[in-house]
Amino acid sequence: MTDLVSRRAALLAGGGVVGGAAAASVGWALTGGSASAVTTAASAPATAVIPPDDDLMREHGVLKRVLLCYREMITRSGDGGLLNAAHVQDAALIIHDYIEGFHEGLEEGFVFPRLRQAGGSLASTVDTLIVQHARGRVITQFLLSHATAGQLASPGMRGRIAAAMQSFDRMYEPHEAREDTVVFPAFRTLVPPAELAALGTHFADLEQQQFHTDEFTAMVNRVAGIEQELGIYDLTQFTPVVTQYEPSE
Amino acid sequence: MRKRARLRSALPPALGCAAVLALTAGCATASASGAAQATAHAKNGPVLKVDAHSIPGLGTVLVTAQGYALYMFQPDDDRSVSCTGACAGTWPPLMMPSGGVVTAGPGVQQTLLGSDPDPTGGRVATYNGWPLYTYTADIQPDQATGQNLDLNGGEWYVLKPSGKPLVPAP
Repeated sequence: MTDLVSRRAALLAGGGVVGGAAAASVGWALTGGSASAVTTAASAPATAVIPPDDDLMREHGVLKRVLLCYREMITRSGDGGLLNAAHVQDAALIIHDYIEGFHEGLEEGFVFPRLRQAGGSLASTVDTLIVQHARGRVITQFLLSHATAGQLASPGMRGRIAAAMQSFDRMYEPHEAREDTVVFPAFRTLVPPAELAALGTHFADLEQQQFHTDEFTAMVNRVAGIEQELGIYDLTQFTPVVTQYEPSE
Repeated sequence: MRKRARLRSALPPALGCAAVLALTAGCATASASGAAQATAHAKNGPVLKVDAHSIPGLGTVLVTAQGYALYMFQPDDDRSVSCTGACAGTWPPLMMPSGGVVTAGPGVQQTLLGSDPDPTGGRVATYNGWPLYTYTADIQPDQATGQNLDLNGGEWYVLKPSGKPLVPAP
């Protein structure tokens, strides 16, 4: 897992990110700090903050990798293989703890209200996305409650677990794609750059306060571990042989 | 094996609700879904009203004045607002209006109403000691889609007018 990049490293790299000093000054100003406090913050050493929409999209990457794990398990189950309870539990816990217990809260608390306030067609899209969050939580709770070694011995329960993962995948693939390509870009157009930077700082603070660690990197490592267990970690296996598609001479 | 993240707030007061509201115009209590707090301005200041209403499949439970279900969070341990940050995005606390009071609608016991401080600022209305929250995914009144959900570090239940959580039989 040497290809994993930590959030902290990304923060320090500064590429494609918003200047932290500006964000700090906005944060102070928003919170009613004194002019001197603003000056102090603005003159602090520059760090870099990931914009909030970029941050959410990185977290979508974790979600996507769990969806791929679910898909692999569904395929194996459909081929007559057994579902491994630990794999299902581990994958569902990433969704439960990080995606549903953190990422979606940021969307619901900070992104969606702004889009609702703007009105238009995005307001109804937001309603759909929120309902889908709720349905996903019900599915995840079902997986965590029933994907046990004992219950998976039953073919009927294996089928229900596979169907639940299938439903989850089917819903979240278009869900996250829509957020990445429509919802987040719209959010970015609605929020002034200084506020966006301050919100990026706030997201990073909330993650630190909730998890006390670089949870993004931890989650990437966890999902990579599941991928390795499932044998889908090595990217080269997915590179197709294309000789049959090459132009004929 | 199952990790239950404890969501005790560590938000600095400076980045509390007011600041977030300024940032996003969508702070927890003003959040989406129309489940925002029900306030009215009376002679003595704004009034937050808590009602009771029958929700299909659950019976009579506490709701906002607009009919949105109110929930308790088990980790709150009967008088401590622990759902803040991202958690409060999903479960907006029922914030007390500044300088206002909370009053009981029909079927609700006034003596069980109160408030507790929110670590991020302001006060959250309580019932029988439980801080009250709405659920963002209840996008219409008369829903309680968050009932019996394990999320954000604990279980969520609607509250009966008696002040007891509606915990399903095992």
